[in-house]
Amino acid sequence: MPSAPSKLYSDDVSLLVVTLDTNPFFWSTFSFPFSEFLSHVLAFLNSILLLSQLNQVVVIATGCNSCTYLYDSSSDKNHGSTTGSMPSLYSDLLHNLEVFLAGDQQLAKPRVNAAGGGAPPPSLLSGSLSMALCYIQRAFRSGPIHPQPRILCLQGSADGPEQYVAIMNSIFSAQHSTVPIDSCYIGSNNSAFLQQASYITGGIYYRPPHLDGLFQYFSTVFATDLHSRAFLRLPKSVGVDFRASCFCHKQTIDMGYVCSVCLSIFCEHHDKCSTCGSVFGQAQSNVPSSTDRKRKA
Amino acid sequence: MPEVRIIAKNFMDMVASMPAMKLDKLYENGFICEAILRSLPPLGKKYVLQLLHIDVPVAAKLLEEWVLPDGYTKHRVAIDRLVQLRVFVEAVDRKNDKTYKLNPTFQKSLQQLLVHGGTLPREPMPSNITVRLPNLEDLEAYALQQWECFLLQLISSSLVEKPSNISSSLMKVFQRRLLSQRDKEAPKLTESGFQFLLMETNAQLWYIIREYISNSEERGVDAADLISFMLELSFHVIGEAYNINSLTDFQRSIIRDLADLGLVKLQQGRKESWFIPTKLATNLSVSLADSSSRKELINCDVYRVEYQLPNLIVGAITKESLYNAFENGITAEQIISFLQQNAHPRVADRTPTVPENVTDQIRLWESDLNRVEMTEAYYYDEFPSRVCKLVSEMYLKVHVTLPENGTVCYGKTRRKCTWWLRPGYIHTYESIYAAKSRSKMQRPYGMVHLHPANVLWKTRKQKFALSFAPWKGNRWKKQWGHTLGHYSLLV
Repeated sequence: MPSAPSKLYSDDVSLLVVTLDTNPFFWSTFSFPFSEFLSHVLAFLNSILLLSQLNQVVVIATGCNSCTYLYDSSSDKNHGSTTGSMPSLYSDLLHNLEVFLAGDQQLAKPRVNAAGGGAPPPSLLSGSLSMALCYIQRAFRSGPIHPQPRILCLQGSADGPEQYVAIMNSIFSAQHSTVPIDSCYIGSNNSAFLQQASYITGGIYYRPPHLDGLFQYFSTVFATDLHSRAFLRLPKSVGVDFRASCFCHKQTIDMGYVCSVCLSIFCEHHDKCSTCGSVFGQAQSNVPSSTDRKRKA
Repeated sequence: MPEVRIIAKNFMDMVASMPAMKLDKLYENGFICEAILRSLPPLGKKYVLQLLHIDVPVAAKLLEEWVLPDGYTKHRVAIDRLVQLRVFVEAVDRKNDKTYKLNPTFQKSLQQLLVHGGTLPREPMPSNITVRLPNLEDLEAYALQQWECFLLQLISSSLVEKPSNISSSLMKVFQRRLLSQRDKEAPKLTESGFQFLLMETNAQLWYIIREYISNSEERGVDAADLISFMLELSFHVIGEAYNINSLTDFQRSIIRDLADLGLVKLQQGRKESWFIPTKLATNLSVSLADSSSRKELINCDVYRVEYQLPNLIVGAITKESLYNAFENGITAEQIISFLQQNAHPRVADRTPTVPENVTDQIRLWESDLNRVEMTEAYYYDEFPSRVCKLVSEMYLKVHVTLPENGTVCYGKTRRKCTWWLRPGYIHTYESIYAAKSRSKMQRPYGMVHLHPANVLWKTRKQKFALSFAPWKGNRWKKQWGHTLGHYSLLV
């Protein structure tokens, strides 16, 4: 028998954690300006808060070198009063964003300059995913009734292969806590990490074709709460890039060596597994096996 | 027991029932649009968001394509709700297909709200003027106390020490369905009154406000203004003081009534006076359940009071008190849920909150009243005389089986030509020979045509023989009439 039943939460109350890609290297070279992108995102966040008094929104910025919480709708520190020109959400978020960007730039290590040209450094998606999951865990522990959490990744920069292990770990922990990870990817090629994330956790991966109508895509696809998703037609991912990255060089590989104890992947033969320390046996190179087959044939 | 329910109709239903023009005027206020949006079912909210920036009518079929087949009923419910509230405007396009479009006023207000944020027409007053501002706990206690006081006065005016300022005519309006007054007796709670008391605070608030608003027309107050003020009030911040001078005259007259109900607290400073919204006010547009303890109101009926201390009442739930409650129309489930909701916090942590022996006993006592079940039956009289004689000379146990649920009920007939029949299968046994005859009757429940010629009688104590013709088709039906059904007589 339930004690003191209180129907405080209806089915569609949600906690939305948004990880916002603020990589300046990406945005400076991208065709769509960051300010316009931000205006669509802010309108979308405001509409989420509009839908229910109990909805919560948390925004985490994904920078090149650090991540931080930009905005938490349930915290008491929201000082910005609602002036006539914009809601308090906007002013708080923008203020925190400026502070963060300045700080992030200062943290930039000189190695970026040493690499010289080449691909822009990736954003720390693993860091922001971990922070999002920590916040959600705190929400889970706050009581028996809580809003249904989900994560939305707004990402533009390409995947950083060195973050493969960390991202996969956070994806599996999200899957374990049944938190769907939706991703809205606006970069040029599909992001393998985010596709895998959405596939494994049961979220939606979507790459909007026209960025002018971003708010419309947001409100159609990403504003649906978890309860309604059961009976709505939402975009399904067609092909997911499941290729793994090797643990030693962080390159995506198709064929490689797998440790039988901890399942870590290597592209070339090692004597010892770097993750679990188990010793491998003699290497069996590819060439003799193909000649064996030829002999047998 | 017939269940009389007070339908604490939701605020939004009342808003929906307003005429179109008034509704459009209401939608100019951004807060009302927000409150209405929040009251929609989840799919409805999604549709509004999706069509928020679309100016062209969207075909209904397109909306249906967004939904999987499982969710079709939810889709229909959402669309009906949206059309009922006039948020969606239905039209028919050139190809005679149904299209939907957002109400333009609603659309504009909501877009404004999204981009610019909503502003209340009044700002909280600076803290240097507002002295003696109550903190949140005090405010909540005040609101609860006012509400309890109001409820007490509603039920019986004699129990209240200081009556509130609500005019007696207004009280009468509230009491209309809750109390019944007989001429010389004190007013007594009706069944609906009991249901009202057992509802949650929020549901009760809705009921009172609904009565208040529907009565407002008679008092010459515009219902639309009243609703818009109430909804606006729900977006104020709890605990902040707002200047009374920022209210219009009309709103000022309402605010006193609201203070009596516990929705706001009025305070006076040296030069200015202000009002402070309480939690009851801000919950106006959200359906939240707030459990408050109602110690004194259910005073005589569910339990019998044993001791009464200043802060404690000890009562005993006895069979008589519960029978009394059941007679007044309260069900066991209501009592149990009332006990659960108003449990002391320390008891509420325990599972189950209410001990099983208590709940079981309450339910058992309720089922005591349901021991006799009445089912429809037909009463036949004045049979032709030979059959009468037949029946009257022996004890006939008439077994009637009801085809639907197979229960058997029977009645003895004795010396009277009446027997209780029900359209269905009727089997009659002669009691003493039932066991013996069972073995004989291998097709025991064949249909028998009970025609007097078929019956041979001996005396009561001996066997009697009955010859019967098996039932063929519907022939017998025509002779005895359809209502008798078919029956058999077994020996």
